[in-house]
Amino acid sequence: MNRKNFLSSLLAIGAAGPVLAASKIPLIVPPYLRPGDTIGITCPSGDITAKEIEPAVQLIESWGFRVKIGETVGKKDFIFGGTDDERAADFQKMLRDPELGAILCARGGYGAVHIIDQLDFSPLSHHPKWIIGFSDVTVLLCHLHTNLNLASIHSKMCNSFPDDWSKAEPVQVDCILSIRRALSGDKMEYSAIPNPLNRPGYAEAPIVGGNLKTIESLAGTVSDIDTAGKILFVEDTGEYLYSIDRMFWHLQRTGRLDRLAGLIVGGFRVKPDDPGEEYGHSVYEIVNARVKPFSYPVCFDFPVGHQKDNYALKYGMPHVFEVKPDSVALREKTGAGLQTTNPA
Amino acid sequence: MITIPPFLRNGDTIGITCPAGFMTREKALTCIETLQEWGYRVRTGRTLGGDSDNYFSGTDQQRLDDLHTMLTDPAVDAILCGRGGYGLSRIIDRIDFSRFLQKPKWIIGFSDITVLHTHLFTIYKIASLHAPMAGAFNDGGVLTAGVQSLRRVLAGDPMSYSCPPHPSNRSGTAGGPLVGGNLSLLAHLVGSVSDIDTNGKILFLEDVGEYFYNVDRMLRQLKRSGKLDRLAGLVIGGFTEMKDTMRPFGATVEEIIRDVVCEYDYPVCYGFPISHGMDNVALKIGVEYTLTVDSTGSVLSE
Repeated sequence: MNRKNFLSSLLAIGAAGPVLAASKIPLIVPPYLRPGDTIGITCPSGDITAKEIEPAVQLIESWGFRVKIGETVGKKDFIFGGTDDERAADFQKMLRDPELGAILCARGGYGAVHIIDQLDFSPLSHHPKWIIGFSDVTVLLCHLHTNLNLASIHSKMCNSFPDDWSKAEPVQVDCILSIRRALSGDKMEYSAIPNPLNRPGYAEAPIVGGNLKTIESLAGTVSDIDTAGKILFVEDTGEYLYSIDRMFWHLQRTGRLDRLAGLIVGGFRVKPDDPGEEYGHSVYEIVNARVKPFSYPVCFDFPVGHQKDNYALKYGMPHVFEVKPDSVALREKTGAGLQTTNPA
Repeated sequence: MITIPPFLRNGDTIGITCPAGFMTREKALTCIETLQEWGYRVRTGRTLGGDSDNYFSGTDQQRLDDLHTMLTDPAVDAILCGRGGYGLSRIIDRIDFSRFLQKPKWIIGFSDITVLHTHLFTIYKIASLHAPMAGAFNDGGVLTAGVQSLRRVLAGDPMSYSCPPHPSNRSGTAGGPLVGGNLSLLAHLVGSVSDIDTNGKILFLEDVGEYFYNVDRMLRQLKRSGKLDRLAGLVIGGFTEMKDTMRPFGATVEEIIRDVVCEYDYPVCYGFPISHGMDNVALKIGVEYTLTVDSTGSVLSE
């Protein structure tokens, strides 16, 4: 083998490496929804009342979808939307229900980890559905990405639908409508206000991530995510700065920062330091210190997180991520090999 | 095999360093005087009461340098961490233990120091001391069972601790190396090179200032990462200053733990004196202990 061929074969291996890793299980993209399709609403985590999901139900029906409301809506077991058994049974029923094209988690909170190991996700292999949610639902999105390579939707949930649509802020309306666009198969595109601390660059890779604290809590478990060769997005709320620093160190120490294709930092609503325990470093400084040894693109203030601007993201699907000094763009990748998986 | 550092003799030197949060020198004075009364010399590192103006007791490099000095200085016979807080995760991978491995010494602390204890045991199989730190000597703390147990352990006395029966206890007898510490830090280490192996071990846990749901989540993580199914025994210390969400979580720490370990049959003891409160006895991580839990109470002894 001459040098040129040898080098090109090395390059080929290099290029194939991450692709092979990512495609160990082929990506499953559930069928996009058409008018008349049905969305199930269930509570794998926190509790919600039937009244609280009304705005979401009305709006989703106005989009032309049917809604099937799960038995956990209106149930309450302290902070949970029913007992573990009730929440698992409701979710399982929706996983098996051939009429459903999507399962929208009513809200986050805490509790998905109590039921995840009881759920049988095998119906999704024959009849993939969109699983929708964020925050505590990160447990489900990570688990499904790792174990099934199932694309899902990271977005606002029922509790974020405005009571009065006419009084909602434009960005809130746009974020809710982005759920409809994602579910309907629109190619997604996002931008963010450029931050001088962003690191320019270009990447094409699947996006994974979610709530940072939840990601940390999945380490070492079967739901843990591999971030190598991927664009990682993270967001969190109510954490101390020292804790955010510690979680970024956890990402580093568990090998999740060194082989990223890109890093997207969403909203971080920080818990104020206790008096006398002032941390003295911002989230920007914390992140930049951790990603300094690497060269992939990094952007801050991306519209994802526990805030009004929290756009629907197609989790696990390949995206193009481009950070320039004066712009940030994330767009869903188009091209061959990304066809929607049709139900058997 | 676990390496047990030499116990201290009269005239030996204890070095005090702050590898994590900031501590004023004043807050360590009672500790320094007490250690001297116990017959030890004390050497204080630059990170104790240093010129740091932020959360940490110095920059990462300063804390690392100070710890290195203590680890390598042949005149220092044991290292007492001034306080915990947060900071070891930032320097643990840069600590050079090579000189320390040739002449191991007791490293003393808890809370954030769990990172150091766990790392030492997991990678180097060297015993260390989960025990009160400098601040615990203040406000009459010298006379507590915790600080007094530290004195005896440093001198080489084998210790046995007992605590009263607890309604949630699960009876039984277990033997094995003791591992554990602060739950938040143990969860934080999962997946890293410092991660704890709990198979066949007696695991002890404590935490402070956590939400109930978060304690539940961390215990589920330990369980789901295979750290609770093959324990020899479980010792639950204090979960102090617990916080609840607006909507009550609806279960106590005892109930959370009981649910998480209900399918196993090893002994479980609650209310053991290890905590961020006044009750915090000195325990040798990595050393073999026997745990006995019955209707009369629990005993943990070397």
